[in-house]
Amino acid sequence: MLRFLKVRGDSLAPEYSHGDFVLVSKIPFWLAPPTPGDVIAFRQPGYGLFIKRIQNLSPDGGVNVIGDHPESIDSRVFGTVRRKDILGKVVWHIRKA
Amino acid sequence: MIYQILNKIDQQLHIENVEAHCDIPCGIYDPIVAQISALTVVRMLDLMTEFEAKTPDRNKDYMNSMSRYIAVKEEHAERAKAEIRVIWGDYLKAQHLEKYPNAHALVHKIMQLGSKVRQTTDRDQATQLVDAINEFAQMFWETKGITTKRAKAPYAPALELVYPAL
Repeated sequence: MLRFLKVRGDSLAPEYSHGDFVLVSKIPFWLAPPTPGDVIAFRQPGYGLFIKRIQNLSPDGGVNVIGDHPESIDSRVFGTVRRKDILGKVVWHIRKA
Repeated sequence: MIYQILNKIDQQLHIENVEAHCDIPCGIYDPIVAQISALTVVRMLDLMTEFEAKTPDRNKDYMNSMSRYIAVKEEHAERAKAEIRVIWGDYLKAQHLEKYPNAHALVHKIMQLGSKVRQTTDRDQATQLVDAINEFAQMFWETKGITTKRAKAPYAPALELVYPAL
């Protein structure tokens, strides 16, 4: 329901930096569906656990995600993220001190 | 304060990492290697022409020197192709291709010219390879929002290259 994760990499820099912590939860999605701009954590089969920003909603019910960095690995590389693979939305961002 | 607490917890219990990563090596792409390689192909052709004119004997020394020029020409033509393939395949994303719909055709042209300069000793084809890679370099830097300038290479053959205007 709630879990802390540690950010590794800089594809969402400067907003999210390597070493930051985030608290993610599915609860926001019980109240409102995923929306472009939301930052989510998800497990992409064959790739791993990622944090990215939702770019748009896919017609098949999934979401397309994008990093803020031009070289980010995101839906441009691995395609749509299925709803069932989403761990949750970032509800708290604890920046590296 | 909260960060320090979480950091302590992470050190003890290892909070799971969530990837926000980029490709490896992260963002290190530069067409200059391909540009210099194409220039080297032209240089080898010039050296071959010059050497042929001044060396009447087709003896083993002639064969040895000529084969060395040819080997370097082969190597650099292939290197130019490989460098462009990496940028095309790993760096260029869908949004770049939308903006530069000619990118695939341009890369294909570079591949064809790269093969042609290996098969022949046609200098015109080699300068076309330099021009095509310059066009690719200009597109590449534009995708990064970096303006470019054209300047003659400070070594023979002093052909014009596209450089980032940093």
